[in-house]
Amino acid sequence: MKRTPFALFLLALWVVVLVAAGGYAQRHLSVRNDLRLFLPTPATDVERLLLEGIGEGPATRVLVVALEGAPPDQLADASRALGDELRGDEAFLLVANGDFALDSFPDELLPYRFLLSPTLDAHSLDREYLGAALAARARDLESPAGLFLEPWLPRDPTLELLGVLQRWLPTQEPRREFDVWFDRDGTRALLLVETRAPAFDPDAQRAALDRLDAALLGIAGPGVKMTVSGAGAFSALMEARTSVEVQTIGLVDTIGIVVLLLIAYRGIGTVVLGVLPLATAGIAGIAAVSALFGAVHGITLAFGFTLIGVAQDYPIHLLSHRRADRAPQEIARGLWPTLATGVASTCIAYFTFLFSGVLGLEELACFTVVGLAVAGLTSRFVLPAVVASPARDHGDSRWLARLWSTIVRLPRAPSAAFVLIAACVAVVAFAREPLWDNDLRSLTPVPADLLAADQKLRADLGTADLRYLVAVDGADVDAVLVQLEALEPGLETLVARGAIDAYDDAARYLPSAAKQRARQAALPDERSLRAELDAATAATEFRTGVFEPFLADVAKARTLPPLTVDRLRELGLGARVDSLLARDGAKVAALVTFSGVKDLGALRAFAATEPDATLLDLRQASESLVARERERMLVTLAVAAVALVGVIALALRSRARVLRVLAPMAITTLVVVAALRGSGISLTLFHLISLILVAGLGLDYALFFEHAADDPFEQRRTLHAVLVCSISTLFVFALLAASSLPVLRAIGLPVTIGVVSNFFLALYLTTPREAAADPAPP
Amino acid sequence: MLAASSAAGAPLDARQIVASLAREAPSSIAFTEARFSALLREPLIVSGTLGYLGPGSLERRVTSPYVERTTIRGDSVRIERDGEGARTFGLKRVPELNGFVAAFVGLLAGDATQLEQEFVLSATGDAGSWQIELAPKEARARRRLRSVLVSGHGSEPRCFAVLDTQGGGSVILVGASSVPLDADVALDSLLARCRAE
Repeated sequence: MKRTPFALFLLALWVVVLVAAGGYAQRHLSVRNDLRLFLPTPATDVERLLLEGIGEGPATRVLVVALEGAPPDQLADASRALGDELRGDEAFLLVANGDFALDSFPDELLPYRFLLSPTLDAHSLDREYLGAALAARARDLESPAGLFLEPWLPRDPTLELLGVLQRWLPTQEPRREFDVWFDRDGTRALLLVETRAPAFDPDAQRAALDRLDAALLGIAGPGVKMTVSGAGAFSALMEARTSVEVQTIGLVDTIGIVVLLLIAYRGIGTVVLGVLPLATAGIAGIAAVSALFGAVHGITLAFGFTLIGVAQDYPIHLLSHRRADRAPQEIARGLWPTLATGVASTCIAYFTFLFSGVLGLEELACFTVVGLAVAGLTSRFVLPAVVASPARDHGDSRWLARLWSTIVRLPRAPSAAFVLIAACVAVVAFAREPLWDNDLRSLTPVPADLLAADQKLRADLGTADLRYLVAVDGADVDAVLVQLEALEPGLETLVARGAIDAYDDAARYLPSAAKQRARQAALPDERSLRAELDAATAATEFRTGVFEPFLADVAKARTLPPLTVDRLRELGLGARVDSLLARDGAKVAALVTFSGVKDLGALRAFAATEPDATLLDLRQASESLVARERERMLVTLAVAAVALVGVIALALRSRARVLRVLAPMAITTLVVVAALRGSGISLTLFHLISLILVAGLGLDYALFFEHAADDPFEQRRTLHAVLVCSISTLFVFALLAASSLPVLRAIGLPVTIGVVSNFFLALYLTTPREAAADPAPP
Repeated sequence: MLAASSAAGAPLDARQIVASLAREAPSSIAFTEARFSALLREPLIVSGTLGYLGPGSLERRVTSPYVERTTIRGDSVRIERDGEGARTFGLKRVPELNGFVAAFVGLLAGDATQLEQEFVLSATGDAGSWQIELAPKEARARRRLRSVLVSGHGSEPRCFAVLDTQGGGSVILVGASSVPLDADVALDSLLARCRAE
């Protein structure tokens, strides 16, 4: 049958609309990359903190930079030069390599040393204290350090600044070589770099890593090698690896499917027409997500295209069922109840994702429901109008006939299905690994060797343990600083008793306004200070009158407004404090981080006695978060299953038919779970998503076999269609299953097993028995 | 003095004297040090022992009038004093201190080549009684350190003087010269005494 002018016009219109919509979508598409997309929505404060911590908290934004491949002194020089370079870079909030100098403190902050340092809480600036300080300074002057301390003494004879700087240093100092930090072996110079970008924004992290590379290139010798480790670096790495693999797999997929379709339908025009519904579905899906969610996440696109790949089956059914003696529209009409049942039930299953409470799943649901519906509708109403009738009818195929008769002659033992079910249940029940994987990190997986190397570097640097935190909250920054100060004696006791190695919180860097005012009030006025100082000086070898700069600083400190976090920020010193504070709407939460937690019981007891402090166990919180997410997901799946059965029951209206259609899908789900459990894989969210895809495929196959009923020609056409569908799906997901990336494997493996199981079970359980049909080959 | 050395016939080689100063580690020697500064009414005077523990490693123990221990190992200086926590300084960050320590380390190792990396060496006197001046080369070291003077007899150093750019400094008398000093001794008279030794 030649195409009518109307068909050609329709085809041209379709292509034009598709290209225009594609162009529009591309121009207005705002792709966001945030790997936290599949993390659940937090319900409690702890969980919110946890998820913020994963993406934007202080610890996760901190990258460890290791320099190696040169003698230690050259590495130290490189570390210093890199530090100087990065400190001027907007992309980094904080750069620390152990390198600090007295002159690195901004001059205008110097008088604040009396408000920031805790030493004057226990002493007052009287002749006794000053006398002791001056005697110690005389000894300093006499020591080898005297040469460099001498110019500093007139301004700061009590060395108050050292007290401040010591508080500002990391609580646990790593090994030092040539004045910068090194790892425990002394072979790698280490820097801590805190990025402005959150860890789970791979694009921004990639940009920050590029800045690091560029900075190193400018300063270091050729031998110096840099490795960067940390959540941010990993997310950039995984994003790059994923997109490279997805692109490669996508290319191989496309070639493979085009070749398969060419073999199956022997016409380039047919193949091109055959992919139009899927292309339309993809663009419609992107448009829908963009319209509803504002932007599309990269990971939604990747998963979404994988999931709507099932829509490629819709045109295949039409193409395989075409025959010379009927118009394609007529065939499409005949297939529609079956196709519509499949499309509707799959859409309903994905629709339930909208209520999962996980943004990624909601986007995914929107994308797939719209995509599948559009693919189904175009396959029914547009494709038949533009596709040509074939010269060949797959119903006449001899080899399909032989294959079919072989299949129907296979021995049938209904008990076999029950044996299979029993075997699967046994495997699931007796598998040794836990059924569910509760590790939040499995949703954003990073290779284990990278994680181990990162942990070692962090241990060498003495960075904070990420599992336990104490949180306090208050109305504003100053209120939480007051609360932190109240915790300090208890925390010091924990350190003294060896329960923890060290702790860190915002009040270490910035005392509350009240505390600063109290210290101010304790400072003597100029006249009495001068009298005390003169008395103290007289008892030492120092000349009277050399400490005028000290007197001037104390006089200034008495009238200073208390230092605020905003002022620190303006001076470029706010990063450390900011990273230990979290703003949540009108409230401010402050974190106390710990390193070297040795006695958890003592830490728990401490938190229990402090009414304002909450001890957070981030691992436990994350596990319960994942478990709760999964529970919701399972409820969602149960609702989806009920809805699906309802749709099938409504469409088929016969208990026997419903059972025949649903059995392959149900058993396949069990087979897939058993296969995963049998190979020691604990299930994650991604496996559950895959199971829905598998169920959708199984339903389609069974519906079409069931639709073919007793007509031998129709049976062969259906067999052809389902063969093409399942081989193409198998091909796509087998490639994913062979991927090096855990996420892609988690989707590829179940679907690969599922397609094979679905195909054979659908054939075996849905096709009629030998007695019912024994068609003569044409 | 220069005339005297010429008269003695042999031109004085700073490198040779430095080489003769090399000490076997470990060795130690008593010292008395006087520190002069514009901040001080009168000099600070301490005594104790100086120890050479091997290349790049020095120890300075003050025993009177208080107890203090300074150890220099490689690039770090550690000062411990009774009743106070130890303080550690890195030498690379403190070039003025770096030059001073390098001078001692180089002298005790008898390593003129090492010294010449950081100082300009010159010698006066004769083999019997000599004086070497070490002037720092690096600009940052020169900001605070004017020169290090060493004087002695034969292969015996007697006197080290570290002079800063503010007219202060310290004079360290070692070995036989390490005698009690008057509380009001002046820098110039002490330097003159070193030259005369």
